[in-house]
Amino acid sequence: MQNYKRLLLLICLSAPVWLFAQVSVSGTVLDGKNNPIQFASVKIKNSNQGTSTDANGKFSLTIPGKGGVLDITFVGFKATSVNVTAPTTSLIITMQEDVGHLEEVVVTGLASSTKRANLAHAVGTVSAKQLVGTTPQATVDAALYGKFPGAAVSSNSGAPGGGISIKMRGITSLVGNSQPLFIVDGVYYDNSSINSGQNFISKAANQGSTNFQENPSNRVADLDPEDIDRIEILKGASTAAIYGARAAGGVVIVTTKKGKTGKPKIELGQSIGWQMQLHKLGMRSWDTAKVRASYGANGLNIYNANGGKTYNYEDELYGVHGFMNNTRVSVSGGSEKTSYYAGMTYQDNDAIVKNTGYRKTSIRMNLEQALTKFLDLSVNANYVESNADRGYFNNDNTSTSMGVAYVSTPSWVSLYPDANGNYPNNPLAPSNWMQTRDLTTNNEKVNRTLLGGRATWKVFKNDKHDLKIIALGGIDYYTLNTKGIFPAVLQFEKNGNGTNGALIYGTTVTHNDNYSALAVYELNPNNGFIFTTQAGVNALNNDLNTVVNTATQLIGTQTNLDQAGAIQVQENRIISKDRGFFAQEEVNYKDMLIGTVGVRGDKSSRNGNADKLYYYPKFSLAFNILPLMDVKVLSLLKVRGAYGEAGNFAPFGAIYSPLVPINFNGTTGSIVDVTRGAANLEPERQKELELGVDAGILNNRVGVEFTWYKKDVEDLILKVQTPGSTGFATGWKNVAAIENKGVEIGLSAVPVLTKEWRWNAQVNWWKNTSKVTRLDVPAFNVGAFGASLGTYRIEKGKSATQIVGIGDDLDKVDPVTKLAVFGNSEPDFNLSFNNNVTWRSFELNVLMHWKQGGDNINLTPLLGDFAGTTADYDKRDLDPKGQLSNGDYRASSYGKTARPFVEDASYFRVREIGLSYVLPKELFKDIARVKLGFSGRNLINAFKYNSYDPEVSNFGVDAISSNVDVTPYPSAKSFHFNVSVTF
Amino acid sequence: MKYQHKYKKLIAITGLFVIAMGWTGCKVEPILDPNNPSTGGLTQNAQLAELQNLVVGTEAGMRIYLGTYLDNVSMIGREYYRFAASDPRVTGDLLGKGGATLDNNTFYTTNPFDGRYRDVKNTNVLIQALQNTKADITDAQRKAGIAYAKTIQAYELLMVFNQQYGNGIRVDVADPDKLGPFLSQEESLNAIQNLLNDANNDLKGNTATLPFTTTLYSNKASDFSKLNRALAARVAVYRKDWPLANTALSESFLSLTGSLTDGSYYLFSTGGGDLLNPLYFPRNTPPAEVRVAHPSFITDAIPGDTRLNKAPKRDATATQDGLNSDYDFFVYTTNVAPIPVIRNEELVLLLAEVKAQQNSFPDAILAINRIRTAAGIPPYAGAITQSALITEILFQRRYSLFGEGHRWIDMRRYERLNQLPIDRPGDDVWVQFPRPATEN
Repeated sequence: MQNYKRLLLLICLSAPVWLFAQVSVSGTVLDGKNNPIQFASVKIKNSNQGTSTDANGKFSLTIPGKGGVLDITFVGFKATSVNVTAPTTSLIITMQEDVGHLEEVVVTGLASSTKRANLAHAVGTVSAKQLVGTTPQATVDAALYGKFPGAAVSSNSGAPGGGISIKMRGITSLVGNSQPLFIVDGVYYDNSSINSGQNFISKAANQGSTNFQENPSNRVADLDPEDIDRIEILKGASTAAIYGARAAGGVVIVTTKKGKTGKPKIELGQSIGWQMQLHKLGMRSWDTAKVRASYGANGLNIYNANGGKTYNYEDELYGVHGFMNNTRVSVSGGSEKTSYYAGMTYQDNDAIVKNTGYRKTSIRMNLEQALTKFLDLSVNANYVESNADRGYFNNDNTSTSMGVAYVSTPSWVSLYPDANGNYPNNPLAPSNWMQTRDLTTNNEKVNRTLLGGRATWKVFKNDKHDLKIIALGGIDYYTLNTKGIFPAVLQFEKNGNGTNGALIYGTTVTHNDNYSALAVYELNPNNGFIFTTQAGVNALNNDLNTVVNTATQLIGTQTNLDQAGAIQVQENRIISKDRGFFAQEEVNYKDMLIGTVGVRGDKSSRNGNADKLYYYPKFSLAFNILPLMDVKVLSLLKVRGAYGEAGNFAPFGAIYSPLVPINFNGTTGSIVDVTRGAANLEPERQKELELGVDAGILNNRVGVEFTWYKKDVEDLILKVQTPGSTGFATGWKNVAAIENKGVEIGLSAVPVLTKEWRWNAQVNWWKNTSKVTRLDVPAFNVGAFGASLGTYRIEKGKSATQIVGIGDDLDKVDPVTKLAVFGNSEPDFNLSFNNNVTWRSFELNVLMHWKQGGDNINLTPLLGDFAGTTADYDKRDLDPKGQLSNGDYRASSYGKTARPFVEDASYFRVREIGLSYVLPKELFKDIARVKLGFSGRNLINAFKYNSYDPEVSNFGVDAISSNVDVTPYPSAKSFHFNVSVTF
Repeated sequence: MKYQHKYKKLIAITGLFVIAMGWTGCKVEPILDPNNPSTGGLTQNAQLAELQNLVVGTEAGMRIYLGTYLDNVSMIGREYYRFAASDPRVTGDLLGKGGATLDNNTFYTTNPFDGRYRDVKNTNVLIQALQNTKADITDAQRKAGIAYAKTIQAYELLMVFNQQYGNGIRVDVADPDKLGPFLSQEESLNAIQNLLNDANNDLKGNTATLPFTTTLYSNKASDFSKLNRALAARVAVYRKDWPLANTALSESFLSLTGSLTDGSYYLFSTGGGDLLNPLYFPRNTPPAEVRVAHPSFITDAIPGDTRLNKAPKRDATATQDGLNSDYDFFVYTTNVAPIPVIRNEELVLLLAEVKAQQNSFPDAILAINRIRTAAGIPPYAGAITQSALITEILFQRRYSLFGEGHRWIDMRRYERLNQLPIDRPGDDVWVQFPRPATEN
């Protein structure tokens, strides 16, 4: 009570002073080259008041009282403070560039952050500029390529709308989830890949492999990269432990943009571009002898009837130059108490195959409000509508996918429709891909709402104590509608070839919500130590419900499910409930020794014992040695070590022993499933140790980050054979362990820094190797299509990503297993090289990526060889005996050796390149900043790999069977013209 | 004073926090499988409809890998050839081509084995569900229901035994974590017999109806007993327990005057998701994937035997892997033709066998002639000795039960496997399948 009275008195007393005693300040914020810094934040120390600089780096504000200290901050620069005691109109503040990003603040707990210089682990960070600064990006995950070390970011195909796998530091799981957890402004962001039911037509998951190969997009594609302020990537358990039971695949923390105090900032961006096939394979040239050899008399008749004419089908199918449009508006700003950010993006990209493309509209509103002196509130809202026409590609067992039908059709067969639009039947394959392309639909449509909120209660703050309580939560809700329309007129549907047309309509409704409450207490006893204590509780609920209706025997050209002779429904639900707590203590001694101890406890209905708490501890220590040394040339020298554990659930349903439906004599019954659920299944557990050294040289103009890690994944879950007399053929068990070891080296430098020139370079090099260290079941083949075509093999003591297959006398065939090792999908190393060069108002960005080694199982040429259509069919550079042409060699190897199907998938590519120019501001009366640019993605590619793109995965985001190539949607390259205007 | 305030505040907040933790850290209840009924739920308190679902599931499950089983025993019994260009192991391993042997971890060994035990598992779930259900059924119905389940369980175990034979089988498999031991060959058959007898105690004379409907035989417990006894007779004959076989036959649905096709069948249909008869191929199917009769079935036959219509002549010879036949295997003439579990024709022949073994030769000949007349061949005129009659009975069984899975087993129980024809030099006639690798 006493306090309030005093406070009241103080306010009364000081009121007149406010009125009369104040200091007006205006000035300019400049960088080291005396260029103005736009949108730098200028704040009065220990207050909420402040502003930001305009397009010319200018600001003005009034400091109450007799002046005070101004804190100036801007991303990429070291924070600066200026003491102002007298009014001035010409204050010049020069900010020093934070070359090594050591001042950058990185999230380390659920509610705390540390500047990079004090960090005890290697956290990958990607800023807005790195993410979208060079060239427009369709999806966030695609924008992450090569931008941080330690991950394999790989697109599954070129189909529009995404479909990207991100695997951090090697193999995390064999059958469980291997993808990272995405958290957007504190909200768990669903990243499911949901199959559309196309398998009904393709029958891909029928023989050879029971895994689906429908290449669905993953739902992180719904996030608009333009809204993102920064991304932090926690690659393994040593950093991600605090996220507990779902964090084994790593965590990607996304923070979206916020408004800054100051006048409104309006940004308009427009970009147009084109995309085209990344790598053309060409087509085989034909003559009568070749036709006869491949197709006999029947083929020759067709060939001659058409006068030997051939068509350029590669251009017909993949030759579209898809127009890409990206329109962008954002408004942000704020006052003392309120700040806001609103962003809208409209994207419309046509792709390289007719009737395919991607459209997305995203609207975001972020609002921050200081309700009272001690209570802050922030709300984020995002609505996205996206629409992807993905075409019908990848593997099938019916030769109906466009990819398979294309390689199965020689170029001398006419597939073009007649004048009335009637397509001929393909005489040599079960499908006319041109008809399929023109008449079928494979569409994914998403409506997604993401709502997040956070309340921060600053309970208490003085010199020594600072206590905050934070409550946050959010909802992620979307519906995904998949629409497959295969009309009855299609060659593979009519005349008893199929089901007389099929409609495959799927609806997925997903509702996820999460809530946390946490407290952060900072104690500064002013003796060099700072203690940060945080603890909190966490709740997460998931509910995903997919219903797929498959209608067949269609009436006419109707596309209503009612208009069908037969309909089949499948429903799949995934429900889970997680509850957890965490606590973490961080001790910082003079920025020299920074130690952290933390633990997370999680229970989940996904575990056999839903109420059991699983604990995930973490420890870390960073030691800044430099203060103890006298080395002028160094500006930072730090050694660091971190250890942590994280979990991964079994595939959904593994804990259940269900009775599955079985049809009999017109009724339906229940029978025990062939797989025995394991109610006592333990979650997979990852234990990661990470050690590293960070150094800053020459006032941080050169920064080096070296990290070594050892990641052990234990209790890996597999479906294993069980004694059949139990009534089950297979059962879920914790049976294996894998060790990943790797090195990540990051080097950043500013080799050139003059008044006009500036070159900023960043090199990342990383490598991972894995080994199976425990396997309680006999070694087994997994993934792809079996040993005759190359398959993965899990074998104790061997790499988890080795590729084996049957072999002949030229191969080193193991006498017992009858298998030879042909490769490994793990690359020898990855190297990414990012350059940013500025000269006056010009800026050039180049991001290069070199993946050395790593093999693919490439079956696209083989499928073409069976039909004699491969471009290199007649070349002779493969057969070691020098006898057979490439096509004959590959085709004749089938059944004898898998050697020709395992191919080196090294590549070098210029992932992003962008050149921009800021027009002289005088042209726009200093009001607007106008930037023009040209940019491109994947414009330069170098690889020997014999398919469209070495970066491919027929099995999507599967944990183990990636790097399989079966007639995918080919990848694209693109270029763009960009204009942006900032007021 | 001032500090006290602050500490109070801190304590209050910490208190609030602890409460908050208590609230969210609360118990996480298990979530039931949202996609399927759970075994646990059904065994605790099944509704009538759910009992019916289990019965339908069990009868549907009896057919899983039945085709593989029948191909196995018919191939080794040299009744027909299954040609499979896609899998050379069928004509290789099963006929013992060259050095080929039966594999203990391949589909022909494991699939029928796993399939039968899966169904056994389902009957165990049904038994538990019947024991615990609170549905409105009488005690007599409960007993009858359990007896039904045991009857099917015994039959499924017999199917496993037929392949495993000398290896013996596990009979106690109720708890997958504590599987019972492998019994010896003799113990296995005894256990199956006991299971049937045990079930029959609750069926015989029980006037209740089953608490569900079955497609296998009657829904009346006392009638279902006749199917149980028919199966018991088969097992008793396998065990050479002639008196028991005799009694069981008299209590079964055996009829010397009735239709020979009366009995219990596996059903198939074209309904969505249902199975088709796995042994059906249209006539004159190309040799890549087909079943053709073993040539000796034609050459050994008595002229005029109407049962030869089970193997009509093909338009062209089918050849694969050094094997030839001019005759289709055409026992099942449509893709939904039922396959017998057990039928009157077998019972008549079992009666003949029992009578011959008990030296009641006129009774045996009476039964044999019932079969011969039906097949359009003259009455038995051979020697009237036990051994001659047994040979005659095995011959009649070969033609009457062609392609129903008996020949190999019959020849094995009379130790006459060496009389089966060898088609290629080096081929073998296997006595039994290896025990699946996963059981070791």
